[in-house]
Amino acid sequence: MNIRGEVVTMFGLAGLGLTFWLGMEWAPSVSINAFKAPDAQRIFYWHVPSAWAAMLAFGLLFIGSTYWFFKRSEWAWRLHVASSEAGLATGLMCVWSGCIWGAAEWGVPWDWTDIRLNTFAMLTLLSLYLVLGRKSQPDGIEARDTFSAFGMYGFVLVPITYVATRLWQIRHPGPVIATSEGSLNSDMSIVLLIGAISFTVLIIGHVMAGMRLTNLELRLEDLQRQYEERSE
Amino acid sequence: MSGQTYLVAAYLGMIAALGIWTWTVFARSRTLESKIKSLENALSNDESE
Repeated sequence: MNIRGEVVTMFGLAGLGLTFWLGMEWAPSVSINAFKAPDAQRIFYWHVPSAWAAMLAFGLLFIGSTYWFFKRSEWAWRLHVASSEAGLATGLMCVWSGCIWGAAEWGVPWDWTDIRLNTFAMLTLLSLYLVLGRKSQPDGIEARDTFSAFGMYGFVLVPITYVATRLWQIRHPGPVIATSEGSLNSDMSIVLLIGAISFTVLIIGHVMAGMRLTNLELRLEDLQRQYEERSE
Repeated sequence: MSGQTYLVAAYLGMIAALGIWTWTVFARSRTLESKIKSLENALSNDESE
């Protein structure tokens, strides 16, 4: 039995538990003057790493989709399937945690005029379409090509989402790391880094486990076909 | 409830959601493995007969 993906995933989940504890107990509080809801800011240690992991998953989705589309490689299709599921899970985590923070800090969970919020939501909806669409369609070259095309062209939203708060800062806060304007406390940076590493490990584990799962599904379909042919 | 309590509830809810997703993936793997094993046994029995 191959359990590498499962072990990696469990390490990721343990890291997320640690991030939660550090974020709640160890990370310093933000200034009460700078934030309307300083307690809610602690969800930042979950929100930002989940966004990072979602972007990583969408990057893997792009690689899997493109490689399948042009090379018809089975591992690329398995990567497409696994990363679309990982992108959906982490995208929902990011959107949900953002809504919780927005409701506390802005007074509204969502802003339909904010570019960052809406392009990220479109990416999450794209992965939802890919996950549900694949489950509702019989597997075949045409279906795979269609879903891969969405995976490839949908990736254009990733760089738009990344630069959105730099070009059109409407409501979503601007970058606080990897920028000259950033001013993140070092203890906060450590918790954020642990969160980012944990989410990365979780996503790698889930993609490994998901690719293996797709392999098992294809193997089962093949065996069922053989069995039916012999029974006839 | 205080803001801190809401936050803890939100965090635990999200960790639980990720845990359920993980468990679902692992459980699906186990189910598929056992189905594959029984089909492989059935096919090899057919061959030996």
